[in-house]
Amino acid sequence: MTGTESDSLDRLSPGVTAVIAALDFEEADRVRLMELGFIPGSSVSCQRVVPMGDLAIFQVEGTQVALRKETAARITLQPSSTTRNPDADSG
Amino acid sequence: MPTAVEAQTETRQSLPGKNRAVAICGPPNVGKSSFFNRLTGLRQKVANYPGITVEKRVGSLRLKDGGQVDLIDLPGIVGMHPRSEDERICVEILRGRSDTLPRPVAAILLLDSTNLQAHLRMVPGILGLGLPTLVVLNMADELEARGGSVDVEAVSAQIGAPVVLASAVTGTGMKEVLRFVQGSFAPPRKVELPVINNIPAERKWAHSVAARSSYHTPEPSLWGRRLDRAFLHPVAGPLIFLAVVIAVFQSIFTLAVPLMDAVESAISVSAGWIGALLPDSMLKGLLLDGVWGGVGSVVVFLPQILILFLFIGLLEDSGYLARAAVIADRSMRSVGLEGRSFIPLLSSYACAIPAVMAARTIENQRDRLATLLIAPLTTCSARLPVYALLIAAFIPERPLLGPFLGTRAAVLLGLYAAGFFAACGTAWLLKSIVLKSKPAPFVLQLPAYRWPTICSLAFRLIDRAKIFLRRAGTVILVTTIVLWFLASVPYQDGEPPPIGESLAGSIGRTIEPLVEPLGLNWKIGIGLITSLAAREVIVGTLGTIYGMEADEGSPALQQALQSELSFGGAIALLMYFAFAMQCMSTVAIVRRETGGWKWPAIQFAYMLVLAYATGFAAYRVFG
Repeated sequence: MTGTESDSLDRLSPGVTAVIAALDFEEADRVRLMELGFIPGSSVSCQRVVPMGDLAIFQVEGTQVALRKETAARITLQPSSTTRNPDADSG
Repeated sequence: MPTAVEAQTETRQSLPGKNRAVAICGPPNVGKSSFFNRLTGLRQKVANYPGITVEKRVGSLRLKDGGQVDLIDLPGIVGMHPRSEDERICVEILRGRSDTLPRPVAAILLLDSTNLQAHLRMVPGILGLGLPTLVVLNMADELEARGGSVDVEAVSAQIGAPVVLASAVTGTGMKEVLRFVQGSFAPPRKVELPVINNIPAERKWAHSVAARSSYHTPEPSLWGRRLDRAFLHPVAGPLIFLAVVIAVFQSIFTLAVPLMDAVESAISVSAGWIGALLPDSMLKGLLLDGVWGGVGSVVVFLPQILILFLFIGLLEDSGYLARAAVIADRSMRSVGLEGRSFIPLLSSYACAIPAVMAARTIENQRDRLATLLIAPLTTCSARLPVYALLIAAFIPERPLLGPFLGTRAAVLLGLYAAGFFAACGTAWLLKSIVLKSKPAPFVLQLPAYRWPTICSLAFRLIDRAKIFLRRAGTVILVTTIVLWFLASVPYQDGEPPPIGESLAGSIGRTIEPLVEPLGLNWKIGIGLITSLAAREVIVGTLGTIYGMEADEGSPALQQALQSELSFGGAIALLMYFAFAMQCMSTVAIVRRETGGWKWPAIQFAYMLVLAYATGFAAYRVFG
């Protein structure tokens, strides 16, 4: 997978790391997601997709967070920032 | 061990007043509750899940100089922008805007040393409050074990507040924490902190502080990843979940049996002693039949309740519960609730009251209302004595899945499932008719897996045993004594009347037409009334009623029930208890949380109709 401008978090395959560019939410939701680590500039990796339901588990700012696909779709990634590294950690 | 605390203690501040409060705050899952236990030794619920410590907990610490410090354990926060009710409480107390608690004189900010860059981001917000603050980097043992390290002095110099590397599990660094609490408070030194509330700037600052403190990130825990692979596996995950649930229910019956036998014989032996000591009198009757018979028949269930809580504690403290929430999200979603409602619902398996309060962690007010309305439908531990008694009396034990699952555990599991599905169905009704709302983004932090400590499990069990015995000693004792008097008057020729002719008997006969369609007689009817105080009271009530009726020693309650109830009636009674809101404390707490009588009244009526209808149907089918 290579980064394009339209890349969003929901399209990140397991084992791939990228850098967060922006969050498209209303202010309160945006702040909450940032407080949980989804901060523009943070690197995020997809750890696994949970096939039951539409959740994916991400590693961001040292913690594991589960997001629904529809939420992940509104977090955009910096173009060409993706790297394949299953054990990538932020920081 | 030299620490940065000493450097800060020079600017001492004398503080007036005897009860100084120190607040313990920090993000969820940093071991805050264990830390609190370590400091105060007070009973405290340890959770490995965001948002479960809803109520603030205060413990006092005696100081060597005879003074006292109150420690407040605050709910976890991820920033200074509270969204749910419990986060709001935390921030209010820290800012000194709480009505019930005075502003703390100092704060302890607890962070996870194994995830320092991310957690240091909390520092500017907390130091910005201007309180003397000690920053505790907890889980030092884990940091070391996984090959990480940090220069504590360097962190302290950069943030302008004392810093201690500590471990609530091993006790490392706790001496320094105590020294801070003893009163050497100094306001934070002025250092350049990033603009508060600019999260990207805070993140950048936190990363650079970590880098300049030669922070060595610990190796990621590999077995945590392996566990996730199994627990969140598409096929294995749900199967493991099911196996865990079955194991819990099976052991409630098998493991508890010898313990329950021991409690039972202790009660009957002691009843024999009392009987031998006291002369025949009304007092003897009250003590033996009323108190020992009634309260004793409830206390017998203590082992089963403790086993249930031991398992809940293991699941919660180990971090498995959050994975279960991920697996449950789909089903929660199909009824219109978010996965987060799963947590209050899960704690309502213990008791609906903390669950109703835990619903405060849900940000969406309509989801919160829906969650607290359905919480009493899930099977709380007060139902367990009722279920256990009826199942033991009416369901013969036969193996179903070899040694793994017997008929009794299966029926119990079925009753729990019935409560769960009734809760889900009701949620769906509520969400699709009266409480429609736009879904908020679903975000759930998965805490790292940890070995539950014996200490924290012990604290939970002691806590539960106390609550259960306190109820047995108050609510159950009082209703039992009142009932005993009602059953003993009016005297006939100087003798207590047969129970059918007593005051309790005539009350029972008055309501008998109401319970007859469920296959129940007036004795059970009395139990349904007394158990409005608390569900398990019915066991004590029946113990008193049947205990008094028996002339030659008291027959086992089970045998008495077998001769009084048909199989269909027993199933109807189980259904009634599964669905009815037989708990005045829950009604009261729902009234408090919703701010009026409207919702608790609707809830009570709805559950009563559901209970009566299913009970009636069950009696028709099985009777």
